[in-house]
Amino acid sequence: MASHPPSDGWIGASLKRKEDARFLYGHGKYIADVRMPGVQDVAFVRSQVANGRLRSVTKPEGGSANVFTLADLQPLTVLEAGPELPQHKLSPYPPLADERVRYVGQGIAACLAPTRAIAEDLADRVTVDIEQLPAVVDCVAAMQPGSPRVFDHWADNAYITSNVVEGSPQVLTSAPVRVRRQFRMNRQATVSLECRGVLAYWDHRTNELVVYLSTQGGHVKRIGLSRILGLPENQVRVIAPDVGGGFGGKNRLMPEDVAVAAIAMKVGHPVRWIEDRREHLIASVHARDHTYDLTLSADKDGTLLGVEGDIYIDAGAYALWPTGAFQEASMASRNLTGPYRIRHLNLKTYTVATNKAPMGPYRGVARPGACFAIERLVDEMARELGREPFDLRRQNIVTAAELPYDTAAGMRLDTGDYVEALDTARDMVDLAAIRKRQAEGEPDGRAIGVGFAFYTEQSGHGTAEFAKRKFRVIPGYESANARMLPDGSVIIHVGVQNHGQGHETSLAQIAAHELTIHPDRISIRYGDTATSPMGFGSFASRSIVFAGGAVAHSCRALVEKIRKIGAHLLQTDVANTRLQGGAVHGPSGKVDLAEIAFVANARQEQLPTGMAPLLEAVGTYEPTVSGGVFAYGTHAVVVAVDPDSGVVELLDYAVAEDCGTMINPLIVDGQVQGGIAQGIGTALYEEIPFDELGQPLATTFGDYMVPCAPEIPDVRLAHLVSPAHATEYGVKGLGEGGAIAPPAAIANAVADAFRDIGARFNETPLTPRRVSEAIDRARREKGAA
Amino acid sequence: MKITLTLNGSKVTHDVEPRETLADFVRDRCGLTATHLGCEHGACGACTVVLDGEVTRACLMLAVMCDGRTVETLEGFRNHPAMEVIRKHFHECHGLQCGFCTPGMLLMARDILARKPGCDADTVRYELSGQICRCTGYSGIVKSIVSAGQELAGKAPAKA
Repeated sequence: MASHPPSDGWIGASLKRKEDARFLYGHGKYIADVRMPGVQDVAFVRSQVANGRLRSVTKPEGGSANVFTLADLQPLTVLEAGPELPQHKLSPYPPLADERVRYVGQGIAACLAPTRAIAEDLADRVTVDIEQLPAVVDCVAAMQPGSPRVFDHWADNAYITSNVVEGSPQVLTSAPVRVRRQFRMNRQATVSLECRGVLAYWDHRTNELVVYLSTQGGHVKRIGLSRILGLPENQVRVIAPDVGGGFGGKNRLMPEDVAVAAIAMKVGHPVRWIEDRREHLIASVHARDHTYDLTLSADKDGTLLGVEGDIYIDAGAYALWPTGAFQEASMASRNLTGPYRIRHLNLKTYTVATNKAPMGPYRGVARPGACFAIERLVDEMARELGREPFDLRRQNIVTAAELPYDTAAGMRLDTGDYVEALDTARDMVDLAAIRKRQAEGEPDGRAIGVGFAFYTEQSGHGTAEFAKRKFRVIPGYESANARMLPDGSVIIHVGVQNHGQGHETSLAQIAAHELTIHPDRISIRYGDTATSPMGFGSFASRSIVFAGGAVAHSCRALVEKIRKIGAHLLQTDVANTRLQGGAVHGPSGKVDLAEIAFVANARQEQLPTGMAPLLEAVGTYEPTVSGGVFAYGTHAVVVAVDPDSGVVELLDYAVAEDCGTMINPLIVDGQVQGGIAQGIGTALYEEIPFDELGQPLATTFGDYMVPCAPEIPDVRLAHLVSPAHATEYGVKGLGEGGAIAPPAAIANAVADAFRDIGARFNETPLTPRRVSEAIDRARREKGAA
Repeated sequence: MKITLTLNGSKVTHDVEPRETLADFVRDRCGLTATHLGCEHGACGACTVVLDGEVTRACLMLAVMCDGRTVETLEGFRNHPAMEVIRKHFHECHGLQCGFCTPGMLLMARDILARKPGCDADTVRYELSGQICRCTGYSGIVKSIVSAGQELAGKAPAKA
């Protein structure tokens, strides 16, 4: 971890987290900890086949009143989901199956009982008759003319296809050097340690449906629940208690959320469903699952020219409301030029329906796949040219002098020094020393490899960007409601959702900076649509940019009024005052915030004539540039690989990253390290394979490998700090970046270890089997040649 | 069937189903929700408790197997001197983010440091191999436990 200089102010201070104490004493309150008298638990009957006609559901004798099928949840309005584009095919997703099931794990019936165990007993007694149909399990084969269909009335299995053509890609066919490769980043789960959960009941006093939900953003879920249940939004209250991780997996309206809410409206008591790990792996949000067939073209001198080819996104059986998985294809294609001066693109994207659980966002969204593809291609091109991959990267990367730089696909890379990030990471792992070590060989017979990957992380993108993507709900701003109480302490309600990111601390630091008081005097509140202003939640590395900005603006509105009151009390003009150290200072004295706050709230006769009482302000915020600001970094990895077993050990992991101004460097380091651990999971361990019938083959932590402490190295971190121009304080979002580059950097390192035989490592996760087979194949091919 | 066990120093008696896990017992019968359920098949360690002095996965233990025995959950360590030191270092070293794995991590940390006082980072990593944290990437947790171990063993904190 990096060491950080002390800070005089709150911006940039490595303040210990305000939220830690309750978790350290076991006082965190997650969804399963919410105690509600009379609550009953739901167990779902789920489809055991991937594709089939649901002929009948037979409720057990004596239990039928507690078994709910889709017909029992009516009236419901199933919402259209995915981008608002006419060519996007609709995939109506009812909360329980209608006449068709489309993936293993899809809910068919909900069984209600005093405990989950009894509910599962009841579920066991429900008889389901399904006529099994051929399953669509491979997203490339799914686009062949003879493929079975996920939706019978669709012309083919693509939700949507697109062509991304930029520059003059026709020149590429005659390029001097062309390297074509196929890449796969396999399907995985998001695996928050706390699974999903929902608890709902009708509150007769307030005459509203109360929905406790483990979610990354309650307001957007309220919009969806209101529409699907036919309730006005003032009768739907969504409360997110402590949320035990999300990573994207808790950012869509899920069928269980709707089913539980609908049942709660039918019965006279609270209803809850707590997802178990098997359900999470089978039927929660799935992610990644990209397939690339790409050709990178270059001049003989190594100048990278363009990328052509196909991108397949296996989006699963349905689009999740509101947005589905449809940013995957556009983000994968638009990020495929990486940080390089690549001006020609000719890409065809296919977002394909298959008989698998619906795809949703997961930390990094599409960019881990795009980064894996382009950064592997750069290394392969370097080998083709006989060049050091690091040098080819450095030759083609956008320089600081070229920033801001408009990429071929229309993204404006804003501030930074990409070359410095490359060089810093190179020096941290000491590339020259590794090349020397490789030449000497390892006494244990393992092969050493070094790999680099560079990523950019678009964050803080606003209204125009999401409107362009045809989102149904545009997360283009955030809001904050700042309220100073009579004693001068402050409560700020925000629309984002803290689920580990430390918002209670970092947002309090921003407010402390603006109000010149200690963060301990400031409470950050969130997670209840009844009290927090409209906002979109925490995802897409957006919270520090948007919510940080909204907190700043709401506090500045308070400060303006505070100074006026202070000037009045000091009998001076407001122009003669300044706010400092928690007091308004004038030419001949000062008045403390606590006194001003008391006057504003409870001694209003002392206010300036005509001034309204209270110190309360709602601020909204969107950065001045809608296309986003770009954090970036270089990951450098050194691996040792056993050629026989295929086991990869990470010997060193260094990162040089730049997320602009850091509000709290301690939290930044934690986000980077944590993101990298998830990226290492994608690179080496995590996968949900499917058999030809569409059965998921990783359904427990016995066969779905989540990395533990021995698998994750201490990442060495260097921070470059290039403030953004378009955001408050120059911040850039950084929550996802750590997860983007590890698959590319690690695969490049493994390939480097076996560069002498040209073994190819183009599919994640790089399991021991995949690695040893790739080595074996390369050795045989080399032997045959 | 009726069972009686000593939970965080107090005798508790409840009528339980034979299939009920110890985790469900402490959470649902006794209202102690620091014991978290992350997988319910013994792989993640979020439900770690102390049973007759040994760290144990509460999801793999039936409540009826604990009749007459002594169980401690994180709630039972509220004023425990060593746990207070461990908590302090988790706070200082950013050893938690979402907090869901934290109770299990704390109980495992105390157990590691009791068995291997003042142990180094590699030892801590190895000993943590049955605990999943999805947020931190483990670095802060390992650092927390190592530095807590040094304080508990009376050594000076490690440099950097």
